[in-house]
Amino acid sequence: MSAPHILESVAGHDATADTPTAPPSPAVQVAVPTRRRAPLSWSMRIGLAVLVFYCAVALLSLVWTPFDPLSPGVGEGYMPPSREFLLGTDRLGSDILSRIMAGARYDLGITLVAVTIALVVGTILGTIAGYYGGTVDIVISRCVEVFQAFPGLLFAMLVVKAVGPGVLNIILVMSFIGIPDYLRLSRAEIRSRRNWPYAEAARMVGNRSWQVAFRHLLPNSAGPLLAFTSINAAFVALVTASLGFLGLGLDPNTPEWGSMIARGQDGVMTGEWWLSFFPGLAILGMTGAFYLLGDALSDLTDPRRRR
Amino acid sequence: MPLALMILRRLFWIIPVALGVVTITFFAARVFTGDPTELYTPPEATDELRAQIRERLGLADPLWVQYGKYLSDLLRGDFGMSFTTGLNVGADLSDRLPATLELGLVGMVFGVLAGVPLGVIAAVNRERWPDFLVRGVTLGGMALPQFWIGLVLIWIFFVTLGWLPGPVGRLPIGVNPPPLLTGFLLIDTALAGDGEKFRLALRQLALPALTLGLTTLAPVARVTRASMVEALQSDYIRTAIAMGHGRRVVWFRYCLRNALLPVVTLIGGVAGHVFGGAVLLESIFGWPGLGQYALQAIERSDFAALQGFVIYASLLYVLAFLAVDVLYMLIDPRMRTP
Repeated sequence: MSAPHILESVAGHDATADTPTAPPSPAVQVAVPTRRRAPLSWSMRIGLAVLVFYCAVALLSLVWTPFDPLSPGVGEGYMPPSREFLLGTDRLGSDILSRIMAGARYDLGITLVAVTIALVVGTILGTIAGYYGGTVDIVISRCVEVFQAFPGLLFAMLVVKAVGPGVLNIILVMSFIGIPDYLRLSRAEIRSRRNWPYAEAARMVGNRSWQVAFRHLLPNSAGPLLAFTSINAAFVALVTASLGFLGLGLDPNTPEWGSMIARGQDGVMTGEWWLSFFPGLAILGMTGAFYLLGDALSDLTDPRRRR
Repeated sequence: MPLALMILRRLFWIIPVALGVVTITFFAARVFTGDPTELYTPPEATDELRAQIRERLGLADPLWVQYGKYLSDLLRGDFGMSFTTGLNVGADLSDRLPATLELGLVGMVFGVLAGVPLGVIAAVNRERWPDFLVRGVTLGGMALPQFWIGLVLIWIFFVTLGWLPGPVGRLPIGVNPPPLLTGFLLIDTALAGDGEKFRLALRQLALPALTLGLTTLAPVARVTRASMVEALQSDYIRTAIAMGHGRRVVWFRYCLRNALLPVVTLIGGVAGHVFGGAVLLESIFGWPGLGQYALQAIERSDFAALQGFVIYASLLYVLAFLAVDVLYMLIDPRMRTP
C-alpha cells in the first residue's frame, strides 16, 4: 500500500472501505488491554451445560440405553409413558427414550461436523474475498447472492434425494448450505478492518498479505463469527430434523429425531401424542442451547450490547 | 431521483440472480436425479415406447440443447410442461399461488402484530418477569421445528379439544369452493356473500396460520426487544423523558419508530422465505399450495415443475429484500441522502 493511503487511514479517513466504519474510538482502545474477566452470563452457563449434557447422552448411548433403540417389539406398540418405558413406545414397540438417546448421536453429530466444515471453508473464502477484493470478490459475492436466493431446504432435499441417504451425505449438504453465510459475514468483517492502523502496521513490518489477512485480521473477527456459528448450528439442527421428517435424510428406521416425529405423525391424529412429542422436546433442548450460547457470545463480543 | 434509480438497478440485478438460480436448478435436478423416464413408463413397455415417452418428456436431446430450449421458452413466459400434471407449469403455479400467499400473509401479519408489542413489553420491563417470559417463549418459537409446532397444535386444538378442524386443506371435505375470483378463499367467499363458507375457510386457515405466526413472532419479538433496549438507552430518549413526556409517548412515538429498522429487515427475510418454508408447513396441513407442489416435484423428478417453483421462490426473495431497501429509504431520512 502506498504511503498516503496509510496517512489517510491513520487519520481515520478511509476512502476505500465499503462501510464507513471508523477505527476504534479511544475509549474502546483503552478498554482492550485491561484484562477484566466478566462473569459468565447465565445464558452462557445454561447453553454450555445443556450441550455438555447432550454430548454425554450421545456418548452414553454408544454403550448403554435402557433398551435396544433399533429393535422393534421390546414392548407392545403404542404404550403410553410408564415406569418401564419412561417415554412410551412407538408403533413398532421400540422404546422411545432409547431411540431419543441414540438420536443425539445423529442430530448433534451431524450438526457439529457440518457447522465446523462450513465455518472453516466459508471463513477462508470470505477472508480472501474481503481482503483482496477485485474480481475474486465480485465473482464470489455474486455466487453467494444466487445461492442465498435459493430455498435452502429445497436444495438439501434435492441433493439428498439424489446422492441417497446417509450421514456423510447429509453432513456435506448441510455444510454446503452454510458456507455462503459464513462467507458473507467474514468478508464484511475483514473488509471493514483491512485498512485499520494495526493492519497497516502488520503490512509495514513485512508480513505477507495472507499473513495479515489470516493472522492479524481474522482473529479479531473471531467473536462475531463464533456467535454466528452457534446460531447457525441451531438452524442446521432444525434443517437436519426437517430432512428426517420428510423421510429424505437417513434410513427411515434410524432413530433421528425428525424422522421419529414423522413416524409418530399418525399417532398424533389418534391421540398417541408421545410418539412425536418427546423427540420435539429433544430438538428444543439442543437448538435452544445453541441459541442461548450464540446470544451470550454476541453479548460478549459486541461492546454495545454489554452495557 | 435516487429512489427510482435504485429500484431500477436492483430490478436489473434480478436477471442474473434468476438466471443463476435457474441454471443451478436445471443442472442439479438433471445431473443429480438422472433420467426419470422410468417413473413415467409402465414396466412392461417396449423399448420403442420407452424412447417415445422419453422424446415426449423432452429428455432425448443432449443436456445443453434442453437447457437452451428451456431458457428460450422461459423468455417467452413458457415454464414448460409438468410431467405429473401434464399441464403447463406456469398455469399450475398460478393456480396454487393464492393458497400459499393467503396462508403466508395471514400468518405473517399475525406474527408481526403479536411480535412487535411483545418485544416492546420485554424491552421496557428489561430483566423483570415480563422480559423473561417473552424471552422464554421466543426462544422456544425459534428452537422448535415448525412441523413439530404444527403437529402439537393439531393435537391440542383438533384431537384433544375439538375446537378447530383437522388438517385437510383449505375447506372441509365435501364443501365446494366459492366461484373463483382472486383465489384467496377469504376474499372470494366474502365477495360472494357466503358467510358460512367464509367461516369454514377461516377455521381451516386458523391452525396453519397460527403455526406460521408463532414461528414468525419469535424472531420478530427478539429483534424488536434488542433494538428497543438499545434505543431506550440513547441520548434522545433520555432527553425526551427529561423534558417531561409521558413514558408511553416516549416508548411508542419516539423509541419504537427508531427501533423498527432492524425489524423491517427481519420481516423482509421472513417474507422472502415464505415459499421455501411452505414445503413443510403445507405438507402437514394438506394445504394445496406451492409447497406441496414442490415436494411432489422433488419426489417425482418433475424437472419443469421444480424449476418453476424455484424461480418463484427466488423472485419472491429478491423482491422482498428490494421492498426492505425501499422501505428503509422511506422510513429513514438519512438513507435518502446520497
